This record gives sequence, C-alpha cells and structure tokens, in this order.
Amino acid sequence: MDEYALGVLINMGLFSFLALSAYLLLIAGELSFGQQAFFGVGAYAAGIGTAMWGWPLPLAALLAMALGAAGAWLVGLPTLRLRGLYFAMATLAAAEMCRILFELFHWQQEVDGERVGPDGTQGFRGIRWVLEHGIEQAGYAAIVFALLALVLAAFFLAERSRLGATVRMVGEDPELAAVLGVNVARVKLGVAAAAGAVAALGGALYAHHNTYIEPRNFDIMLGVHSLAYGLIGGLGTAFGPLLGVALDIGLLESTRVFQGYRMVVFGGLVAVLLIVRPRGLLDETVVNSIAKRWRERAAA
Amino acid sequence: MLVDLIQNTLDGLALGSAYALLALGFTLIFGVLRRANLAYGPAIMLGAYAATWVHLQFHAGFLALAAVTIVGAMLAGAYVERLCFAPHGRRARSGDAAAIASMVGSFALWMQLEEIATLWLPKHLYAFPPLYDGPPLALGPFTLRLEYVAMLACAVLACFGLHRLLARTRFGLAVRAIVDQTDGARLAGINVPRVFFLVFALASALGGLAGYLIAAAHEQVTPMLGMWSTLKGMIAMMLGGLGSLPGAVVGGVALGLIESHSQWLLGPQYRDLIAYFVLFALLAARPAGLRSILTRKPTLAA
Repeated sequence: MDEYALGVLINMGLFSFLALSAYLLLIAGELSFGQQAFFGVGAYAAGIGTAMWGWPLPLAALLAMALGAAGAWLVGLPTLRLRGLYFAMATLAAAEMCRILFELFHWQQEVDGERVGPDGTQGFRGIRWVLEHGIEQAGYAAIVFALLALVLAAFFLAERSRLGATVRMVGEDPELAAVLGVNVARVKLGVAAAAGAVAALGGALYAHHNTYIEPRNFDIMLGVHSLAYGLIGGLGTAFGPLLGVALDIGLLESTRVFQGYRMVVFGGLVAVLLIVRPRGLLDETVVNSIAKRWRERAAA
Repeated sequence: MLVDLIQNTLDGLALGSAYALLALGFTLIFGVLRRANLAYGPAIMLGAYAATWVHLQFHAGFLALAAVTIVGAMLAGAYVERLCFAPHGRRARSGDAAAIASMVGSFALWMQLEEIATLWLPKHLYAFPPLYDGPPLALGPFTLRLEYVAMLACAVLACFGLHRLLARTRFGLAVRAIVDQTDGARLAGINVPRVFFLVFALASALGGLAGYLIAAAHEQVTPMLGMWSTLKGMIAMMLGGLGSLPGAVVGGVALGLIESHSQWLLGPQYRDLIAYFVLFALLAARPAGLRSILTRKPTLAA
C-alpha cells in the first residue's frame, strides 16, 4: 500500500474516534456540536505529555482520556438537562470557548535546545514521539486500528448488556426510563464522560500522526462533520458512524473522482439519502433484520 | 471615556441590528417549522456572491445589488426547503428524528452551497461596494456609518412589518394557526406545505437583506460569510429565546452590545470568548433566553 493510501486510512481511523464519540451521545438522545473540543483537549494533553514532559505515548494518551472525560463531565453537568437544539448550542458554545482558550494558551519550554509547546494561534509543533521511536506509517496505522477495534469491542459488549439497553431507553424516552427507576441524569453524565474520553483518545493519536496541531483544527466544522457521520451511516450500530467516515473521507476524498466538485456531489447525495433513509443507512430496522437473519441461519 | 462608552454602544447597536435581522429569519423558520436551518447563512452568502458577480460584470447600483442578494438568497433558500424540509413530513417536535434529518440535510447543503460559491468566484476575498461612498455621519463627537443607520432602520422596520404581517393578515393567521395546532390548521383547509414554503421564502428574503447590508458595511465578501451568518443568527436567536420574534431582536442587540464592549475592553479574542460564555451560561441557567428574564412569563420551552 502506498503512503498516500495509508495516510487516508489513518485519517479514517482517527476521525472514527470522533464520530463514535458523537454517536454515543446520539444514542443517549443528545445532539452535540462540541465533541471536537475533547478531541482538541486530547491532542494538546498528549502532545504536552510526550513532547514537553518526555512521557511515553501510552501514558500521555491515558492522561488525554482522563482529561477528555473530566472536561466532558464538567460541560455535561450544567447542560445535560437541556434537549435538542438547546443542548447542541450549549455544547457549541463550550467547544468554541475551548478553541479560543487554545488560541490564548502559550506555554513553551526548552527541550533539547528547542522551544516546544503550545504557542497560541501559531499552534503546537514538534510532537514527534512516533517518529523518534521509529514507528513507520504502517505501524502507526496498526496502532490506530487496534485501538479503534478495542473501542468498538467495548461498544458492542455494552450494546449487548443491560447498560446498552438502558442508554438506548434514556435516548428514546427519558421520562419512561425515569419512571422505570433509571437515574437519567447519571446515565447521561456517564455517557458524556465516556464520549469525551473516546474523542480525546482520537485527538491524542491525531496529534502524534500530524506532529503539528493548531486551534483551528478543532473548529465547529469538525464537530458538525463528526455528528453527521453517525446520522448518515446510521444509528442502529456502532458500524454506522464508521460507514459515514468511510463514505466521506475514504470514498470521496481519496478517490478524487469528483475533483473540485466533491462537496457539491456529497452534499446533494447526503440530502437525498436523508429523504430516503432519515435515520441513516444502517438504522435500527436494518440492523435488527440483519441480526434476525443471522440468528435464523445459525439456528438452521 | 464616556464618549468611547457611548460610541461603543452605538456601534454595538448597529452590529446588533444586523444580528437581529439574521435572527429574525432564523426564528421565523424555527418558530413555524420547529427546525433549525443550518444552510440559512450559506444561502445568504450565495445571494451576496450573486450580487458580487453582478457588481463585477455590470457595476450595478446599490438597489440592484440589494435586489440580487435578496432574490439569490430566496432562490437558494427555496432549494434548501425543497430538498431538506419539505420531504421530511409534518411539523415536528424539536429533537424528533425528522427534525434532525432536516438539520443534517441542511448541513450537507451548506457544504454544497459553499463549494458552489467558491467555484463560481474562486478568489478568497472580493470587494463589495459600500452603500454610500463618503465620510461617516457625525453626531457631535460620535460617528455612525450610513450602512449601520440602514441596518438599524431595517431591523426596526422588519420587526414591525413582521408583527403586522403575523397579527393582521390572512397569511399571518394561517401561520399562527399552524404554530398553535398544525393538524387543526390542516383540517380548516390551510395549505400547510405552501405556508411553510412562503415562510421559508420570507425568512430568506430577510436574511438576504441582512446579507446585503453586512456585505456593504464590511465592503467585502468571503466564503466565511455563510458560517458567520448561521452562527451569529443562531446565537442571537438562542440568547433572546428560541422561537420568539421580539426575543430575536433582543438577542441580536444584546449580542452586538456584548461584542462591541468586550472588544473595546479586552480585544477581539476575548470578544468571542465572552459572547460564547454568555450564551453557555444563559443556556445553563435560563434556557428560555433573555426574553423570559425580561417578561417573567412562564414558558413551555425547556
């Protein structure tokens, strides 16, 4: 596989984390325009960990996830009682505040005779842990997809458990869930924190793939894209958001079929797709019927 | 000091009336259809691009440019309505699946409209003729640009015009009937899809007017105008209180005042930070917006 294709593949993996993060909140019934903030928090935290403090990447990624979860919990605390557009706008405001704080964030120190660290709008360069440890593109792709598989496995285990059913119930009818004894606020806060951690892990890997990050990377466009991936791909299964990412980044950006007209084609396609399938390609009905056929075949 | 304070308040009022015009269109769509149209700003931008093209080709006067912006925004808005809102069925509660599908569809068309605009006029920035080519009006020690006076006047006129339209005409009666009881309105013989379409056209026309005035005040047009209009319109709408027309004006003016004063005190980065912080804090504490604080009326929204 050539370098370009590998790069596209890695990008697909990285943005899948963000799409999964938005998807997690979607199935809990909340529409977030702000998951890019936790992606950014993860990127900055992990970059500071490896480039400034000399930590190994796994430890820095754990720090990123902890901060992402904590940040999402803090934002969720006053906002998760809001619904629909209210929650979406509150998360948008929080994420934009976070982006502006990155722009105001100057903290550099001397590492090996070079000034390293976040420098406001100039960004944060020199996050070179991956290069310095001799990991090639292919190796990094393997790491990204192994971690993505781990996250997906956790999603599927959760979906099959009582917890997954509870989350979907909270998403579909919070009043009913509350009547049945579910602590809706706590479930939503837990989901938000988990979604923050997943986004932050993606951000940590993103920073180490690009070696350079800047506040502009984490703007509202990224957030709305990650939300749209789940809604295009379908909300029935965690494969839905991945399908959305694959359609956008994998198919359209990499093949360059519609060079120059990519968004004209993709935008129109998505709008038409949503008329035919308002809950995405892999919606609950499709997923259930596939699962049923699978069971029947296994039984026969 | 006091002169600066008053000058900033004047600038904030002018900026706020542009936001109020944007928020009025946004609110009209949200109040009637209960759906957010993310492609609202990009449709306005396409109108402004059409006017820029006309300006480059024919050097037309300001009335022609304003008309082209408004008609362009209306055509783009009608396209968005046909593709993202009309097919997704009846008026939905906010947060419903159909409302989300409409919103995501409108986001997809946002991307599309933005690319169409940059394919049409590929430079990053185009100069746009100002409304009036002369020194700003002087009122004692204060100055005010003519575009800003026009914005203020248009915002006030639009607000009264909309109020009269909704309160006094048959069309307004149909709109209010749909807002109260969509099924009942349909049974009474109101052509609901047609009213939705007209509301969309009206909102786009208001947006186009705002877009023309903003482009003339900034004397430039960039592809960023789309995102800027959507964001400012939405923020002003949420600040004032979702779905309320007076709220849209209050929210727009409040946003303009907050921005102009915080920019003067702390600089442009803090200006945006403070605007977003006020929005976040208000949503967390009083989701029903500034209007609910001013009137102390109980609202159903939460």
